[in-house]
Amino acid sequence: MSCPKTAYLLQEYFSDSLSAQAGAEFDKHLAQCRECRAELDTLLHTRQELLSWQEQRVPHWDRGLELFKREHAATPPATGWFARWQWAPTAASFAMLCLLLLNTSVSVSDSGFAIVFGGAAERAEIDRSLATFEAQQLAEFESLIRRFEARQDSNNVQFLQAVMEQTQQSTAESLDRIYAYFEEQRLRDLQDMQLGYQQLADSDYATLRSLQELAQFVSYRDSAR
Amino acid sequence: MSVIDEDEALIVAALAGSPHAWEKLVKRYECRIFNQGLRLMGNPSDAMDLLQEVFLGVYRNLHRFRGDAKFSSWLFRIAHNKAIDLSRRKRLLAGTPPNAEGEADSLESLPADRQQEPEISLMHSELNQRIIKRLSQLPLAQRLVVELKVFQSMTFEEIADMQDISENTAKTRFYAALKKLKQTTEDEHVLS
Ligand SMILES: [Zn+2]
Repeated sequence: MSCPKTAYLLQEYFSDSLSAQAGAEFDKHLAQCRECRAELDTLLHTRQELLSWQEQRVPHWDRGLELFKREHAATPPATGWFARWQWAPTAASFAMLCLLLLNTSVSVSDSGFAIVFGGAAERAEIDRSLATFEAQQLAEFESLIRRFEARQDSNNVQFLQAVMEQTQQSTAESLDRIYAYFEEQRLRDLQDMQLGYQQLADSDYATLRSLQELAQFVSYRDSAR
Repeated sequence: MSVIDEDEALIVAALAGSPHAWEKLVKRYECRIFNQGLRLMGNPSDAMDLLQEVFLGVYRNLHRFRGDAKFSSWLFRIAHNKAIDLSRRKRLLAGTPPNAEGEADSLESLPADRQQEPEISLMHSELNQRIIKRLSQLPLAQRLVVELKVFQSMTFEEIADMQDISENTAKTRFYAALKKLKQTTEDEHVLS
């Protein structure tokens, strides 16, 4: 024998807003219905069992502190191979500046003819080194991307393998979905990186162009002396 | 200072760049989030994943936190949503196709070894293990309602708001969950 009111009544019993009147009615029904009483008892017991949960301590973790400190530091320390590598073009530009200036001053002291100095031959030389430098940067940029892609691929393959071994139920569909997920991640990473490097490279080319102008200005000024 | 004021002071200091304030803020809530994670995700390693994702989300959005809600409510809403995300992702990675609502999110398909990680399970009381095992029989939607109602003591109105469902649905889910938990208990007694 089962009571038709059980489900409705108990659902209401656990709601927060049981009115005094509804409560009284509920009690009245409980007093005469063994079915509902038994059901309520077990449900209360079940809830009580859940509440016997004992708080567990959190295993040690860094609480995001490293990230926090890194992002709040005045000059964020460079980490990883990419961050170290990204200063190379700037260093190269600086070396180029020294070379250009040095080259010019040596020519001045060696040459008695101010008009000859800083002539077409020398400027062509400068232009050539600049072009070589630009080409090198482009090549390095491409190799950087290739390295990055290779690294991503091997990471993903390893992770995929781990996942497959764990689940051992690799339907073609789930494979597709996993692959799509990683492909999306990979493309996004790559885009971020390309964007970051492109900005760097752009600023670097701007430096180069201003260096070129500076070199020309120096030789012009010296030649006019 | 009240708990809420203290939270807000810590948030302001953290936003100003104090790692100490950030750590203190995390420490205040990590235990609750971790235990919630254990009950919702079913094992310590996923609970840790959840914990980290929740606080990363908090960190990334801290500047958006406005004092118009309690920090704890905001935090638990993030935790709730991250738990759903994480469960979906795990299911996707496990290659379990999403079924009709109801059976879709149960943890039964978890490899057994993930639920028994040696170092951490030492700290597990047997009681907690039993509760986790029982909760894992529920679909995620029901597990979440139980978590919010029993462990977080939320009202059905608050639960309905958080899950974007009607209050009635929340009530029905809770009742259905309790019934199912009760059933599981009975099955255990029959088996033992
Ligand atoms: Zn009855």
